[in-house]
Amino acid sequence: MRIPCPHCGERGHEEFLYLGDAGVRRPDGMAEAKAGEPASRPWMDYVYLRPNPAGVHRELWQHVHGCRAWLVVTRDTRTHAISGAEDARTVALARDGAPA
Amino acid sequence: MTTPQRPLPASHRLSAGGLIDRSARVAFRFDGIAYEGHPGDTLASALVANGVRLVGRSFKYHRPRGLLAAGPEEPNGLVELRDGARREPNTRATAVELFDGLTATSQNRWPSLRLDLLGINQIAAPLLGAGFYYKTFMWPAAFWEKLYEPLIRRAAGLGRAPIGPDPDRYETATAHCDVLVVGSGPAGLMAALTAGRTGARVILAEDDFVLGGRLLADDLEIEGRPARDWAGAMQAKLEAMPEVRILRRTTVFGVFDHGSYGAVERVADHVGQPGPHQPRQRAWQIVAKRSVLCAGALERPIVFGDNDRPNVMLAGAARSYVNRFAARPGDRAVVATTGEDGGRTALALQRAGINVIAIADARAEVSRSLQVIADHAGTRLLAGSVPLRAHGHGCVQAVDLGRPDGSGRQTFDCDLVVMSNGWVPTVHLTSHLGGKPAWDAMAGAFLPGTLPPGMAVAGAAAGRLSLDECLTSGAFAGLEAATAAGFDGTAVEVPRATREDQDRVALVPTPKPVGGGKAFIDFQNDVTSADIAIAHREAFRSVEHLKRYTTLGMATDQGKTSNLNGLALMAALSGKTPGEAGTTTFRPPYTPVAIGALAGVHTGKAFKPTRLTPAHGWAREQGAVFVEVGPWLRAGWFPKAGEDWLAACNREVAAVRAGVGICDVSTLGKIDVQGPDAALFLDRIYANTVSTLPVGKVRYGLMLREDGFVFDDGTVARLGPEHFLVTTTTANAAAVLGHMEHALQWTWPTLDVTVVSATEQWAQFAVAGPRSRQLVARLADPGQDVSNEALPFMGAMPLSLLGGVPGRLFRISFSGELAYELGVPSSWGDALARALMGAGRDLGVVAYGLEAMNVMRVEKGHPAGGELNGQTTAADLGMGRLVSPKKDCVGRVMATRPALVDPQRPALVGFRAVDAKDTVTAGAHFIDVDAPATTANDLGHVTSVAYSQGEGRWIGLGLMKDGPRRHGQRVRAWDGVRGRDVLVELCPPCFVDPAGDRMRG
Amino acid sequence: MAEHITFSRRGAFAGLALPGRFGQAEGPAGLTVAVRTTVAIAQVVARPGRTDEVSSAVAAAMGLTLPAPLRVSAAGPVVAAWTGPGRWLVMQDEAGSGPYPAGSFVGRVAEACRGAASVTDQTDAQGVLRLSGPRTRDVLAKGLALDLHPRAFRAGMAASTLCGMVEVTLWQTDDTPTYDVAVMRGYAGSFWHWLGESAAEYGLVVAPQDDARAGAG
Repeated sequence: MRIPCPHCGERGHEEFLYLGDAGVRRPDGMAEAKAGEPASRPWMDYVYLRPNPAGVHRELWQHVHGCRAWLVVTRDTRTHAISGAEDARTVALARDGAPA
Repeated sequence: MTTPQRPLPASHRLSAGGLIDRSARVAFRFDGIAYEGHPGDTLASALVANGVRLVGRSFKYHRPRGLLAAGPEEPNGLVELRDGARREPNTRATAVELFDGLTATSQNRWPSLRLDLLGINQIAAPLLGAGFYYKTFMWPAAFWEKLYEPLIRRAAGLGRAPIGPDPDRYETATAHCDVLVVGSGPAGLMAALTAGRTGARVILAEDDFVLGGRLLADDLEIEGRPARDWAGAMQAKLEAMPEVRILRRTTVFGVFDHGSYGAVERVADHVGQPGPHQPRQRAWQIVAKRSVLCAGALERPIVFGDNDRPNVMLAGAARSYVNRFAARPGDRAVVATTGEDGGRTALALQRAGINVIAIADARAEVSRSLQVIADHAGTRLLAGSVPLRAHGHGCVQAVDLGRPDGSGRQTFDCDLVVMSNGWVPTVHLTSHLGGKPAWDAMAGAFLPGTLPPGMAVAGAAAGRLSLDECLTSGAFAGLEAATAAGFDGTAVEVPRATREDQDRVALVPTPKPVGGGKAFIDFQNDVTSADIAIAHREAFRSVEHLKRYTTLGMATDQGKTSNLNGLALMAALSGKTPGEAGTTTFRPPYTPVAIGALAGVHTGKAFKPTRLTPAHGWAREQGAVFVEVGPWLRAGWFPKAGEDWLAACNREVAAVRAGVGICDVSTLGKIDVQGPDAALFLDRIYANTVSTLPVGKVRYGLMLREDGFVFDDGTVARLGPEHFLVTTTTANAAAVLGHMEHALQWTWPTLDVTVVSATEQWAQFAVAGPRSRQLVARLADPGQDVSNEALPFMGAMPLSLLGGVPGRLFRISFSGELAYELGVPSSWGDALARALMGAGRDLGVVAYGLEAMNVMRVEKGHPAGGELNGQTTAADLGMGRLVSPKKDCVGRVMATRPALVDPQRPALVGFRAVDAKDTVTAGAHFIDVDAPATTANDLGHVTSVAYSQGEGRWIGLGLMKDGPRRHGQRVRAWDGVRGRDVLVELCPPCFVDPAGDRMRG
Repeated sequence: MAEHITFSRRGAFAGLALPGRFGQAEGPAGLTVAVRTTVAIAQVVARPGRTDEVSSAVAAAMGLTLPAPLRVSAAGPVVAAWTGPGRWLVMQDEAGSGPYPAGSFVGRVAEACRGAASVTDQTDAQGVLRLSGPRTRDVLAKGLALDLHPRAFRAGMAASTLCGMVEVTLWQTDDTPTYDVAVMRGYAGSFWHWLGESAAEYGLVVAPQDDARAGAG
């Protein structure tokens, strides 16, 4: 596999480390538990539940033996075709509505 | 059996022609007999030239076999090449370039090729049909290991693997190009030329040692001159282009994602031994923007009775032997054809002086062109005829020809039968990424279907068989590939070539050979038409099931000569077209690849990179025995003469506890954390609070995973208000850094913090023992105070030492003694070790290793690898109160799940062996004294053990249900694997100085 | 008191890079390796969102323009290589400038970047080799998956990647071509083994070290 790092250009997969689904969102660590359910309830999805799509998947990789940037890579799980790779921090700032 | 002799003159070598160098002789041996060939020969062609027709015995039935092909598709001519540690089994004789001194041995015969006692398998043949293993060796199961398997291995094995280590070097390498052209036949040469002319970077990979593909084997003309001369001229043109790289003897064996191709270059397989410093083979990863597959086509055999008799050969192979290698495979030939190829073959054979007795043409109507050739050759043309059965044992002696229904049967004496049943495009590489070849009824073959991204197919591989089509399609595909890769080019001149009529029909095998005998489809795996019929009868209709049940197209052969015949028969039996039946998946590698080539230089100790500490050389001089910890080598113990590991470890521990010792802890991960939000960030990363740590102080840090279990631990030192240095365990250093970067770049992207690894920058030594302060003080440069007041327990300070080396001193203790960790820039690590040992000589300083360190930490009850096993919580390890509930941190919420706070969870406990003579082993289970050792009675397990000199016995740590509440009680430490059952007494997990006075002193 | 022993600095390739000719003995050597023992290395990591600020600060204080992604830049004796977004190795060869080369230079870089970037001393964390010779690209191709063809990689370009399965930062210093490779110190032995094996086919010359601290390799 070759992954197009947005910072370094296309590199072999041996330079990257895979983490997984970029769609999960960490809950607020200090939020009060909802009445009638344990505090861990919203965390179960974050920690354990992952979709396993046959198709387009946005996933986190780190260019660990390169520029060390975390990336959001969009990959088709059926063909391995990669349609995009973005800098994860930039994506995260937009997600959180913060200025880059 | 070796017979010393002078080789006889090659009996079947033509006196002229061919691409061999008659001025030089190449001596070789086959089955101990000396022969001679010439440069330009393959082992196969040299055997043909010497009249050797029997080259092996078949896999299952031990039937005598000869060469079927002349190229990489050869299923029969598998030999053991070379001797000793270089012995290479299952090598295709057709793919071995002849070299001086070559030795080869036939396989799968016992005791000899001509007299094979296991040929009796033929008589038992009805037992060995499709699904034979599945049916026969099912019961009783106990018979498998002792009886069935050894029997099968003797009877049906292929070659023997070498015993010794491979003496040769291998390499891996990466190449990049705009256009990769696979195959250098007419299409490949044109593709490389048109792509190269645009200025694109081109790699032309050719499996063979000469460029040209079928131009070498066939009598063709291009631009009015012999096609092989044209190929030579093309090679010269390509070699003159600076951006074109020609890789000969290179097989592109696989297509991988995103334009990656695997290839193996046989750098020195064509010589007896590689030259000095020369690799034997080189595995290439080729990264190509575009590729053009010009892999040609393989000829399809005719399936008829006993079609596996030696010297029943593919027509293209026979033409190759006579035209390219000037070797005459026989003297009296019968040509069986389904089309115009038969005429070309008859002509070539006749020109080589072979008497062509008859041509059987499966087409019902008499072909005018074939008739002309037959008349010219003075041979009989039998239209509407097919071969019905071959006769003979060591070699074919006659063949029956007749109508497909068996009528009109006539026997022709001959010593060579060549068969031509059309061509099967070599589409293997097109389906490596999952593309399914598509059936083309007109071509009567599977053609490339969905192609891997960036690949185009040209020439015979695309079903364009005739020479002019090959040249044209190659030329255009090369130009298009270069254009797609961003290069400009326009006019393409395609050279004029011999026109070839491709008219033919296809012969589909029948379930039962009309003429009798066994009709082979897969020669390598001994699969007959009857086997396919059995599989069909037993309802194995899917082609994938058919393959597994009959072994059709398996193993190294990958169905090169067999796939289409097998599938066509199955389709016919099912009343489907081959397109409806489909084809099996071709997988890499196309031809076998040595594992050594893929490993390259990374073998033995260089298998993975090894990480060494700056003082590694010093430790080696001290006689350290090293142990692997992740990529690192760490000193395990430093034995003196006569000491085993335990004696060395005991001495080291005693010296530390009584005096002072030093231990290289450079492998611990060190991460430099800076920024205004550094304290806040570390509060989130660690379960305990970091932000309250004063500058100049160190604190223990416990890290959880987001699921609430313990991830790692270490120390956190505050070097400045916004500057921390944290340490991780050796094993988790990379993971913790990645985890922190993930947190900063993805989870909390607005935190103003940077993290940088400082592991390699610092060499760090633990200096431990009551005299450690004295020793540290001796190394400090003048004017620096390391007293208890200046640097109390859990303090950190910069320290200048060794005359100006800027170090860092931390007062932390893993051993429970007064102790420090002293860091210096790595280039001074070796000097630091020597300085500590030199300065501490009169203090009795020792170097101690991982084992002694482990003993001391077990005695202090510090958790490490065995306890930080990914399944323990902070509370399990007795550190539940460390977890701060007042702040968000990774793992905080999930750690509160009921199952993680269950008081019944196994928790950390210490224990000592009741009997001082007993040894306890890690992994032993805690079982109550009077309870049987069953899963239900399992209370937990031993995580770490150590021999404690203070206790005079083995002690340890474990995780045990109710452990902390059972101190003073006795349980068993039961180890069923090692057969140990030892009584232990439970205790608090601390055996030395529970109050901690020593380390604070 | 400590005994009177002279302790010496040992670079990452000490004891490995022994001068001489290795591998193929005939013909001109395909690869020449020189160990650069006196390069002070500061790792600069811009704090989030302050890359431009770091660049101006370094330009103002040191007259060095920090390079764009995948590039190297130089100002006098100072060379900077991009290693990632907002990350650079800023280096100065301090040959002949005293027994401990790093302190003052790294301090100077840290001072220049104060508040805008974290600066850590990595002088001892890397061993730097200079590779040149007619077969340099062929040798590197045996461990480096990067395309070093002049159309893809030229003098003034840099990359952080793997070579011989070891993390390296590599930059091209001229078009002959010459490359500098900074190797993680702990893997120096493995890298050296890979380099020796890979260059053996073409012949390898390890240059004598011109620095006074030749033993420091």
